[in-house]
Amino acid sequence: MKNSWIIAMREMRERIGSRSFLLMAFLGPVVVLILIYLLFALGGNEQQKWHVLIVDPANVMEQKIMAKEDPNITYSFANNYIEIADFADKPEYQPYDAMVEVNEKILSNKSSFVFYREKPSFTMTVNVRYQVERRLEEVLAAEFTKLSVSEFRKIKQPLNMAFRNVYDPSNSSADIGAWVGLFFGTVIFVFIFLFGMTILRSVSREKSNRIVEVLLATVHPRALMLGKIIGIGLSALLQVAIWSLVIGGGLYIMRETIFIDAYDPVNVAAGQTSDYNQFVELVFERIQYGSMLFYFLLFFISGYLFYGAFFAALGAVTGSESDGQQFLFPLIALLLFAVYAGYFVMQHPDSSMATVYLYLPFTAPVVSMVKLSMGFEPGASYQLFVSLASILVSAFLVLGLAARLYKNGLLQFGHSVRLRTILTWLKMK
Amino acid sequence: MLEIQEITKRYNRKLALDEVSLSLRQGELFGLLGPNGAGKTTLIRIINQIVEADSGTIRFKGDLMQQKHVASIGYLPEERGLYKNMTVEAHANFLGALRGLSKRDCEKALNYWLDRFDIQNWRKKRIEELSKGMAQKVQFICTVLHEPDLLILDEPFSGFDPVNVELIKQELLEMKARGKTIMISSHNMRSVEEICDRVALIHQSKKVLEGRVSVLQEERKTGEYAVKFRGTMIAFVNALWTGFELVDKEVLGDDRFIAKVKMRGENSFEDLLKVLMGQVRIEAAWEVLPSMQDIFIQEVAPKTETEDEK
Repeated sequence: MKNSWIIAMREMRERIGSRSFLLMAFLGPVVVLILIYLLFALGGNEQQKWHVLIVDPANVMEQKIMAKEDPNITYSFANNYIEIADFADKPEYQPYDAMVEVNEKILSNKSSFVFYREKPSFTMTVNVRYQVERRLEEVLAAEFTKLSVSEFRKIKQPLNMAFRNVYDPSNSSADIGAWVGLFFGTVIFVFIFLFGMTILRSVSREKSNRIVEVLLATVHPRALMLGKIIGIGLSALLQVAIWSLVIGGGLYIMRETIFIDAYDPVNVAAGQTSDYNQFVELVFERIQYGSMLFYFLLFFISGYLFYGAFFAALGAVTGSESDGQQFLFPLIALLLFAVYAGYFVMQHPDSSMATVYLYLPFTAPVVSMVKLSMGFEPGASYQLFVSLASILVSAFLVLGLAARLYKNGLLQFGHSVRLRTILTWLKMK
Repeated sequence: MLEIQEITKRYNRKLALDEVSLSLRQGELFGLLGPNGAGKTTLIRIINQIVEADSGTIRFKGDLMQQKHVASIGYLPEERGLYKNMTVEAHANFLGALRGLSKRDCEKALNYWLDRFDIQNWRKKRIEELSKGMAQKVQFICTVLHEPDLLILDEPFSGFDPVNVELIKQELLEMKARGKTIMISSHNMRSVEEICDRVALIHQSKKVLEGRVSVLQEERKTGEYAVKFRGTMIAFVNALWTGFELVDKEVLGDDRFIAKVKMRGENSFEDLLKVLMGQVRIEAAWEVLPSMQDIFIQEVAPKTETEDEK
């Protein structure tokens, strides 16, 4: 174990000193921060501005719309009928981004068409519909009832039907929370892939520069492999720590400067920044960073040990640095599948496959993060620990097998690896 | 010091070592000789606990060989490498630590060797900045840093430049004088026979011969003598007359030769010198002893038609 530690320390020092590590440590979190910023910004801040022409030959709306003007939408009215083709091509209609058709039947059949030039954002469709509908409510109330507009609106409220999980009636684990889990799970797998490849390259480089026999003369192959996996793992943890600090700091600064208006009660009351707030609120309020980071570390470490053994074994059996690509492909496919499984579980959290994925060591780290962020049903949180145990037990089994390949393959050079040789080396003691 | 008893090893049914037994005594320089593919490296890897033998035992200083003994061995493999981006010092510290040296002892030993090879200024250099010959010295230093009781060098002179070969040979003799046991394996028998006390010949996974170099040569000498002289070949042959037989000759210059002669009848070396005196000018004369390569070929020739000896 002492030798493993010496190997691990050397490995870690080499990693940390490398340019790629430094680049990843500072570029990685900056890229994530930029993505988060874009997510916030494009989620509603980057407003489309529309000039809408309301074609109302029957003059139903009497050229009026909402008392409070929307800064992003301006309305004009036309009392003549306009053909779609004319609206599309004629120069006098070019300033308008969209045409809303309001005919005399609208009060009875409640349907209308909007012809746009550029696809509207979700917010834009909501706002146009909302503003036109508000005006129509006024017309309807005046035309068919003796009620005031506000009384009419009270009656007219659509039925708001909320679909809730019976075990989670307060809906604390809304879908959007699951994305957070998927994000953390994906980060786990991106790290496993990046550092797994580092293991693979490091092992095959040791083989190709022939230092390996010098090492084997003093270190048991299993200790060598463990040292390598631990050393690169420690550098990965350091990378995670740097990412957490930089992203955490970046988010804090963002909250205090750029997105401070999201907390401005005026904006909240206006009700027009709902999209934008959803993410901001999610990132700043809803994620429980403490427990997420804790489980992130647990599942990252166990998942890394599990997959790291595969990468180490693959490095050990290759004949040269460029050898073994064909075996790398299934490994990458597994990693990608695990991320897909996370997405699947997000969509079908209660399916039986979800349970299978939760316990399957290949997919468990990402699925556990998704499940965790969606919340376990009361009394079912033990599943998380079963999943963790499943990865750890499998990791030790795979490490054992990998150690055997490591021992038998490490001193074989210059061949090109085949499944048959791998099987032979697995059988050798 | 090291007792190897009936070691057998197979790789996928291919026999690599067939009941090989050897013994090394404390303070001797032992040569493990044999052509490429004979099984030398496998045997060395078994001694170093890198590969497990299928059967047989190895005793190190009387105890059954275990992983803990490996720290008392210095091993320079044939395929040797260094981490290119580490400095000489970091490398020595790393390998020293793996062999149980404390950082202080490691520094001390490194200082000693850097002074000895007069390369103190390499200390902070990265391996990739060193030439091949320089890297070889560093490899040797890393092997002996922990003052091993047993030093095993696999093909130590392959790839070494001649200056380094001489340097390393001198160091090995020095270490032997300090009581260290050294095992050298080589397919190039000429390069090691002059410094080895004893040798073992391995051929096709079997040991064919083991013994003291001088004894092996004595046993296999053919009774030939060589005479280095100045004069003419005709005069030399005339002087031999019927008492001696000319076996071989080598022309060194216009009037300088080395002739190999065999005795006939009861004639002795002294008789040879007597008949030659006055006929040619004798510069040197000696008994011809077979080289290890000759002995090897003698030993294996009946068994194999051709030998891929390089």
